Formats: sequence, structure tokens, C-alpha cells
Amino acid sequence: MDIYLAQLMNGLVYGMLLFLTAAGLSLIFGLMNVVSLAHGSFFMLGAYLAFAVVRETGNYWLALLISPCLTVLVGLVVERFFMRRLYRRGHLDQVLLTFGFTFVFFDAVRSIWGSDIRKLAPPVSLEGSIALVGGMFSTYRLFLLAFGALLALILWAVMEKSRLGAMVRAGVDDSQMAAGLGANIPALFSGVFGAGVALAAIGGVVAAPVLGLYPGMDGDILIPSFIVIVIGGMGSLRGAFVGTLLVGIADAFGKAYVPALSLFLIYLLMAVFLLVRPQGLFGIKGGVAPAGMVVAARAALSATLRVKVIAALVLLALACYPLLVPDYQRTLVSEIFVFAIFAMSLDLLLGYTGLPSFGHAGFFGLGAYTVIVLGALFGLNGWTGVLIAVPLTALAAALIGFFCVRTSGITFLMLTLAFSQLLYSIAFKWRDVTGGSDGIGIPDRPNIFGWSLSEPIVMYYVTFGFCLLCYVGLRRLIASPLGHAFIGIRENESRMRAIGYSTGLYKLLSFTIGGALAGLAGGLYALFNGFVSPEVLHWSASGDILIMVMLGGAGTLLGPVLGSAIFLLMKNLVSSYNDHWMMIIGIIFIACVMFFPGGVWGILSSRIAGRKPDSPPRPGTTPAEGIASGDKAPTGAAPGASMTVDGAAR
Amino acid sequence: MLELDAVHSYYGDSHILQGVSFTVQEGEVVCLLGRNGAGKTTTILTVMGYITPRSGTVRYQGQAIAGLAPYQVARRGVGFVPQERGIFPSLTVRENLTVFSRQPGSALQAAGQAVKGASAPRAPWTLERVYKVFPRLHERERNLGFQLSGGEQQMLSIARALMLNPDLLVLDEPSEGLAPMIVNEIVTVLRGLKNEGLAILLVEQNLHTALALADRHHVMNKGEILFSGTSQDLERNEDVKRRYLAV
Repeated sequence: MDIYLAQLMNGLVYGMLLFLTAAGLSLIFGLMNVVSLAHGSFFMLGAYLAFAVVRETGNYWLALLISPCLTVLVGLVVERFFMRRLYRRGHLDQVLLTFGFTFVFFDAVRSIWGSDIRKLAPPVSLEGSIALVGGMFSTYRLFLLAFGALLALILWAVMEKSRLGAMVRAGVDDSQMAAGLGANIPALFSGVFGAGVALAAIGGVVAAPVLGLYPGMDGDILIPSFIVIVIGGMGSLRGAFVGTLLVGIADAFGKAYVPALSLFLIYLLMAVFLLVRPQGLFGIKGGVAPAGMVVAARAALSATLRVKVIAALVLLALACYPLLVPDYQRTLVSEIFVFAIFAMSLDLLLGYTGLPSFGHAGFFGLGAYTVIVLGALFGLNGWTGVLIAVPLTALAAALIGFFCVRTSGITFLMLTLAFSQLLYSIAFKWRDVTGGSDGIGIPDRPNIFGWSLSEPIVMYYVTFGFCLLCYVGLRRLIASPLGHAFIGIRENESRMRAIGYSTGLYKLLSFTIGGALAGLAGGLYALFNGFVSPEVLHWSASGDILIMVMLGGAGTLLGPVLGSAIFLLMKNLVSSYNDHWMMIIGIIFIACVMFFPGGVWGILSSRIAGRKPDSPPRPGTTPAEGIASGDKAPTGAAPGASMTVDGAAR
Repeated sequence: MLELDAVHSYYGDSHILQGVSFTVQEGEVVCLLGRNGAGKTTTILTVMGYITPRSGTVRYQGQAIAGLAPYQVARRGVGFVPQERGIFPSLTVRENLTVFSRQPGSALQAAGQAVKGASAPRAPWTLERVYKVFPRLHERERNLGFQLSGGEQQMLSIARALMLNPDLLVLDEPSEGLAPMIVNEIVTVLRGLKNEGLAILLVEQNLHTALALADRHHVMNKGEILFSGTSQDLERNEDVKRRYLAV
């Protein structure tokens, strides 16, 4: 009996900690339509700042007071000086911006406090345990429960009973209408963002004695929080509360009774909810349309002679390049080719179909693991491995896509992220096959026409060939009727549905093709690297590839190629001189999202085409223009329009 | 109290308002008429600050308000009733009324009043007074916004704007899609407001509603005002009625 009780207790405690992050995340999403990926970072920052305060003063309660205040200051800076500048732009740009900040905060925490796991002792007054209804319980955990419940109650009272809460709810319902009645929306946004950050930071402080402190704790709280929001419904406090308890308890009992399956339990829970109730338990908002999306990219370049000449020169240069340089650079460029394929495959989803996948590394990793595992365990030739890996990842993409394409925009982003983390967990836990965190390698690489891929120059030409093949293939795909259907979905899904396209099917197709190509890239990576570890599947790997696409320019094919080149060159160059390459990449990425929404290729292509980058875009061709009008006009034209939909959804 | 002078507004690259000029005087009801796509709603959204005009001026009580955010316009004393009514679905009727309500003569409005001198004080709007005018809302006080019928939503939207104690009420097609009986009820309420001396800017497609309420009319087509005149002028002008209002 007391074992059940103990598990229940563990589940409730974990649920409470989740609630503190999920509630803020959900509120911010509800009001601002932005999923703050930095929310986990604020949780981490809160914990570490508390750690610092306790080390200085020895007073836990002081830390509980000071740390959230400092974290809120940081959060407000992020909101005020970075996110607010992007309100006019698509919501995805803001999401990506917060992702850039996860790098900065991660690097900051790691360089200040180191990578080791730190412990924060609970306050002396809460040490020991108390006997309660047939069991001994840690005093600190009981305190956590009471504290979490109290905060939830206060939050509920403020939201439901106060005028301020009514203002926030009105803003969640229809922020444009609220503005027309005198609500200072920017101030409301800042306030809610700040409150959300405060909750996350408090969560971090009280979680530290239970969960410990380590760089990476940000992701570990963020992903379950996403699942909670998917289950509970976006923008709903009640949903966040019930969702956290469900996830917390499922997690605790899963770990105790079916440890092998415990990881899948919460994902299973999520999948069931998605099938039965896609808007979540208490959700009023469905998937929010990816307003303006990624698309800040130029339409395919007109094939002028000038362009053809440049293309021919570049190809020639790339073909001659390995003959002139040492092995190290051959290897580096080979890696760029592999990641260019990966980035292009993501861009098919992100830039062309408007599906912001944040779990694309899952398919890359699946491809890589397939090749390596088959090679290491069964001695299968690497090429056979690639031949198996591609259809396998296509199958996995189709299966995962089946769940994900029911949603769009931010929900889609969170779901793909969650599924890729599931794959990561499998790779991490299934030690017998995957080697767990140590990774797994193959003894030697296969040959091609008698040349061994162990030779960097052979590897170079093989990856170059595949990259070229993918580029040409994708170019033809995008020019085909199918490609046009994808672009149509990106531009306006409901209109495509209205003219008779089964958009779900097309999205699934795009997702599957993108997944299969990522699998191909993963397979090639396996041949290239000869070794694979769970890191390739981690959500930050999905973020890296997203950065490459955005950096180069989404919605184009050369953009991602260029982006992966810049990213990898930078990573190699900066990391050889400086430990803080994550910080630097993060800052560059933030600057890129803020100031160059079209990416490097967006700037370059307008130069090559002989237009000034700031010259007015041709009407109707550039999505950037669609954002400018799409932002002000429809929102202004229809305060209340979204409300009608929400009302009907009930 | 409201002046538009040669206002040009755009949606992206589409030139919607092409030099719109008109005024609304103290205590006056002015109506914008015209077919779908004539630019009536765009005009209203420009006044409210949802759209910033590229050129031209919008003045409210002597101050330029073009370029202000909607909340700043609202706080200067403009009550907005949008076309889709904009009821907050997850707030109760009572919360919808009180959430952004303001006392008469709050800071910004007072500044405006000082500029143009003392105006006749109107009775302030309170929850009790609103419930007296719209008894139906009192009955449904505890219902959530999404549980209301179309007519009730329209009443709530008007009542909510009144709770801001505005000096100017801006209504976008209040009679649209409602049963004739409800329209009559709303017209009666609006006429009462007019008699009280509240200035109203009204967008209408229904000529009868417009004639029943407004002092002056502006007929719009393709982003321009093509006819301006009193109710009598409009009633006599068969050409305008046939060509732009399809009567």
C-alpha cells in the first residue's frame, strides 16, 4: 500500500514541478501565440541563480526570493528588446528567436557553473521526513506539494477572479479586440511573459534540491512541459494543471512498474489524446496557423545567363577543390555536403510546405543508427545499410507524420519535437543495440567501385554527388504539380482544402519525403563518421539543422546548403579558438532572425539577380510582403473573427 | 470632434482608401454607406488605429491620432463595436462588460474635454444602467460569451463599448445578420444615445437603419466618398441610391 502511496507522491511532486513551467508556457502561448523555447532555460537559470545565492548566503529562502526576480529581469530583456521587435513578423520567427537564446543561456550557465551536476540542499528546516498515513515522506517533497498547490491556487484566483486576470483572458480570446477597448497589449504581453518566467524560475529553484542542477536541465523540463500542454490544451490553466498531474503520475508509476516502457508511457498518453481530442483536454485553440511562417525567402531565382555562369563556376570549383587541399578540409566539406542534404530535406517541410518541424534530427539519427547497427551487429555492408535506412525512415516519418500532420504551426512544432525526443530516449536506453550514451561504431567503411570511403577524397566526391542529386531531385519536385500543392498548403491550407486538395495527405507525403531524405543524409553521415551516438537525435540537433536552414534562407534550396556550410565552418573555426562557440552561434542566429529574415541566400540572391536587397519586392511573389499585409490587415479587419471559431470549437 | 482629411490607407500594396475626408461633429450621428468592399470598414479600422494611413490626417478632439495604437485611441474616449462583435468567448457577460470599463472623464478624455471646453455632461454608464437598457444581458449575466445568440452578442458588444463611457461611439454594421425585431430594438437604443448627445460614427449597408438614425450620410465606393448629404438629400437622390446602394 505505502509503495503505491510513495509512487503517487513522486508523481505528484514531479507533476507540480512540471506545472510551474507548463502553466507559464501555456499562458504565454495563449496570449502571444508563441512557444517560448527559452522557457526551460529560465527554469535552469532560476535553479542556478538560487544555487549561487545559497552558496553566498546559505539562505535558501532568500534564494527563492532573489533568483526569480533576477530571472524575470533577464526574461523581460528578452521580451522587450528582442521578441517585441518581431511582433509584426510571423510567430515562428519569435519561436526561433527564443531557440537562439537557449544556446546563449546554456553556454552562459556552463561557463559560469561548469558542466558537472550540482546539488542544492533543501533548507535545514525542511530536512528529514514525516510519517503520514502509513508511510514516511520527505518533508521537502511535502513542502513542494503544498507550495505548488498554493501557487496554482493563487494563479487560478488571479486569472479567474481578478480584473487583471479577466484582461489576460480577454487578450487570450482576442487580443485585437481587447486593444480596441483600451487594453495596452504590449504591456500585457510583457506582464504575462514576465509572470511566466517567474513561475519557471520558481519552479527551477524548488526543483533544484530534487532534480539536481546540470546544463541540459532546460530541455529535460521543456519537453515534458510540451507534452503536458498538448494533453491539457493550449492556453488553458486548468489544462496545464490536469495535464501535469496526469503526466507526473503516469511517469512515476511507469518508472516503478514498467521501467522498460516508462519512457513511452507519456508519449503514448499524448498520442491517445491527439487521436481522441486534438485540441487537448481544455483547449480552446487548435493548431494556430503558421502566420507568415518561414517564408521570408525569395521565390526561385530566375534562370538568367548570369546565374547559369555562376552556377557552373561554383560546381567546377567544388569539383576541383579536393584536389588542392589537405584531408582535413576534404573531410570538413564532406560533412557540409551531408548536412546540406539534411538541411534541404528539412526545408522541403519548413520552407516549402510550411511545416515547422523541430524533430527532424529524429529521422537523420534513425538513418545513421540503421546503417551503423546493421553494420556492427550483423556485418552488413554500409551501402546495403543505406538502402534499408531510407525506406525505414520513410516508414517512421509516415507513422509519426500520421499524428503530427493533424496539427499545424506551433502544435506541430511541439509534437515533432516530442516524437524526436522519443527516438532519442530509445537510442539512449536500448543499450544492447545502440550502445546507449557511449554510441556505437562500425569497424570499416564500404567501398565504391573499388575505392574505399575511408579515403577523404572518395568520401568527398560521394557526398558531393549525393548532395547534387538531392538538389536536382528536390528542384524538380518543387517545380512539379506536387511541389506546387506543397507550396499552396504553405500559403493557405484552408484554401487548398476548399479547392479539393486533401491537404492532410499532401502534408503527410511531404513529411515522408523529407523524412526519407533526412534518413539518407543520416545514412551517409554514418558512412562518413563511422560512429553514431544519441546526440545526433537530440532536440538540439533538430534545432541546429533548423538554424542552418534559417541562416541560409528557408523556402529556397541553395539557402540550406549555404546555411549548413556557414554553420559548420563557424562551428569548426570558432570552436578551435574559443570554448564559447554555442554562445557565438546563438547570438549570430538571434541577429539573423531579427535582421535578415531571408537568410544569407536571401541577401545574396537579390544581389546576383541584380536587385538591391532593400528594393521593393515584386508584388505577390515574395512571402515577406504577404507578412507585411497579412499581419496588420487581417488582424485589424477581423477583431473577433478568431473568436467565432473558438466559440464554435466548443 | 473627429476629422478625417485626405486619408489614404493600404493593405500591403493594395491602395484601399483613396483620399477619404469627412467629419463627425459633437452630438452628431454620421453614417458611412456603400456596398461590400467600398472601404467602410477600412475607414473605421483606420480611425481606430488598426491601420496606419500612409498619408492624410485623422484628428480626434483636435489631436492627430493617426499612427496611435488602438488602445491609445480607445483610451481617448472612442467606443468601438466591430463588425463581428468581438465578444470574449471565455469571459462571462458581466466580465465582458467590466473587464475594460472606465469611469467617465478619465485622464486622457479629460484632457480632450479641456481643449474643447465644457461639454454637456451625460449620465455615466454603469453596470446597473446598462442592465436597465439591455435587460436581456442582466438575465444572462453569468453566461459565457460564446453561449449568446447573435442578437445578444450585438447588444453586449454595444453595452461593452458604452461601459468605456466614450465620447464617440464607432459601430460597424450593428444590424448585420440580425432578426428585424432585434434590429428595431438596437435602433431604439442607438436613437436614445443620440438624443443624449453622444456622437456616433456608424457603418451601415441597410438604408432604412441609416435613415432612421443618422444626421448626415457619406456614400463610399472603391475607397472614395462619392456622395455626402443629409438624410433628406440622400432620400431624394435616386441616382446615388440606385448606383451605389442598389435600392
